[in-house]
Amino acid sequence: MRRVILGVLAAAVLVAGCGAGSTPQLPRVAPSSSSPAPSSSAPPAPGCDDNIYKSRVASYAPGASWADSATVAKIKSRGVLRAGVAADNLLFGHRNPITGVIEGFDIDVVNEVAKAIFGTASGHVEYVVENFAQRIPDLQSGKVDIVADIMTINCARWGQIAFSTVYFQAGQQVLVRKNAPYKNIADLNGRKVCTAKGSTGNENVKSLYPQVRRVIVDNISDCMVLFQQGSVEGIVSDNTVLNGFAAQDPYAQIVGPKFTNEPYGLGFNKANVDFVRYVNALLAKWLDPKDGTWAAIYHKWLPGPLPNPPSTNFDRPLP
Amino acid sequence: MTSTLAAPPQTRQVVVRAARNAFAGTPGRLRLAGIATVLACLVFGLFAFVAATTRANALANARADAAQLVRVQSIRTNLVFADANLTNAFLVGGLEPPSARAAYEQGIATASKTLADAANDSTADAKVLGNVNQVITRYTGLVESARANNRLGYPLGAAYLRQATNLLRSDALPPLAALGQTEQARVNHAYSDSAGATAWLIAGLVIALVVLLVTQVWLSVRTRRTFNPPLVIATALVLVIGIAVAGVLAWSQGKAKDTRGGAYFATLGLATARIDAFDAKSAESLALIARGQGQAYNASFDNLSANVSAVLDDAARRGGADEKAAQERFRDYLAVHARVRAADDGGHWDDAVKLATGQANTVFQNFSDASGTALDRRSAQLRRNLSSARSPLPAFAWIGLIAGVAAAIAAGLGVAPRLREYR
Repeated sequence: MRRVILGVLAAAVLVAGCGAGSTPQLPRVAPSSSSPAPSSSAPPAPGCDDNIYKSRVASYAPGASWADSATVAKIKSRGVLRAGVAADNLLFGHRNPITGVIEGFDIDVVNEVAKAIFGTASGHVEYVVENFAQRIPDLQSGKVDIVADIMTINCARWGQIAFSTVYFQAGQQVLVRKNAPYKNIADLNGRKVCTAKGSTGNENVKSLYPQVRRVIVDNISDCMVLFQQGSVEGIVSDNTVLNGFAAQDPYAQIVGPKFTNEPYGLGFNKANVDFVRYVNALLAKWLDPKDGTWAAIYHKWLPGPLPNPPSTNFDRPLP
Repeated sequence: MTSTLAAPPQTRQVVVRAARNAFAGTPGRLRLAGIATVLACLVFGLFAFVAATTRANALANARADAAQLVRVQSIRTNLVFADANLTNAFLVGGLEPPSARAAYEQGIATASKTLADAANDSTADAKVLGNVNQVITRYTGLVESARANNRLGYPLGAAYLRQATNLLRSDALPPLAALGQTEQARVNHAYSDSAGATAWLIAGLVIALVVLLVTQVWLSVRTRRTFNPPLVIATALVLVIGIAVAGVLAWSQGKAKDTRGGAYFATLGLATARIDAFDAKSAESLALIARGQGQAYNASFDNLSANVSAVLDDAARRGGADEKAAQERFRDYLAVHARVRAADDGGHWDDAVKLATGQANTVFQNFSDASGTALDRRSAQLRRNLSSARSPLPAFAWIGLIAGVAAAIAAGLGVAPRLREYR
């Protein structure tokens, strides 16, 4: 109830903000049309160090001005939030084959954002189904407003796009057949392992386990097809993805410890700092156990006891 | 060694002298003229036979190659038809509609059966067709995996479907398209073989007439008899039958040529249009399945449908009511497709899917029926025309041969009495 009122209030303020935005003397955050040219090999953001967790995950402060975000006003006047999501990742973003509806943890997060903007998510979200490699170019070109697709925050990506604060903690593991002799990823040296193009899994295997023979596909779910056909011995991806695969194949299992730390953030166009700050304010609230939104989404999609929610970090200086 | 092979010098001189005596003087020349006219008439008969038989065989080949071409195109059509139904059913979500499943199975069954027939009829194509058959087996396997996962509610089914569709497009359709090109080249080759046949006939006719006329002129000068009736009969026989065979050859060539520009061209066009149209229908579904990332499929749809429209417009201009009906039905479908795209591009994905799996299917089915009828009629016409262009040729081959033999006998009968006068 409190959330609905907040949403309505936010909407009222946003409409006012939109009117103000049309006056030329007020300087505003650059709109997405002036976004940098898409590039996959951009240098990492200055001052960001992947080895220092805090510097890597720090996002922008949910500033006092979050309510009159020009980007949110634009989305609101358009009537739909364009969200880049996955459709093949059971539990986080997948198309339910029986109902045809796209659902999952990430989808619920996007729907909460839409609910905050429009009062209700229904009819106000346009899901753009993406594979991993399409996420950053689609944000840079303005094709989508937000990406909620198990996206790992790292410094290379901070050079290309902007992230919210962490909303989920995952790690990378390896999926193998149940009777296979592999106990961890190092056992797969010289073996064929499938990864997805444009994923951190692919980068990590390349740098950490160079002797593993990578088979790179466009869509991570193609890995599972190759795995079931026996073309590859294993799949490296986030445990969030692998849990979904294991749930679809009783002959598959996840082995070994998490060999990386994958903090997930929602992705934004680099220029839409105002939108990041708006969503960070929402996340700060949802992650709070007293609010319970995050916990409810977690319980809806993932088994087991509720872990501690990821802690927020808003220490990134505004550009 | 050499002595046994070479005739002794005395014997050789005897043979040469005997030969020189045989063809020396007027009786000798008469003997020569007799042999020449008989041979020339036999050559005419033989060449007329070869000409008509060559043409008949070439047209039989053209018919067989065209039939094989139609079969290969039909394999492609049925595969893209099955795939279009499959992808469309997947779009609906949940259990596929039984009608879509039945259509998919029918497409695969027809493709497999046609493939077996085509492989039996042509050893040259059997290898390619065998490979395609393997791909179809893998394709149907992937499709069943997609279904099994779908039934369990696993999104992995979508990955299997994507693999299946990609496999069909990368490994089955291109070799079949290449085979279609090969068959077209074979039909063209058969046509040029067919055109060469007339040269044989004309050569035979000219040789026979020249020898017969020269002999008669020489005889009339030598014997003071203006006409030699048997030789006149031989000449008339060669001339009349030669012209008759030439007439039949020209008629069959004309008919074959008309068929090529008419029924053959129309059959080829309609078959291509249907393949591209089913492929386009698949692209429509795949673009919606891709949900926001379907640009490549939409571009592919635009290319394919432009091809279909161009072919159908041309066919409708040349052809009859069947082609016009197919053209109109395809326009109906394009109108619905435009609404599908407008809905999807306007952010109304659900409406787009409803249209694509409802009304679009209905109007597309109408196009499929209309173009199928047109294709069946055209390919039946093609078979009929090529058969009728060939039908009189075997008989005329024998008539030519018999006429040649008869003319040879007449020529012999005409020269022999003159020769007897010298004994």
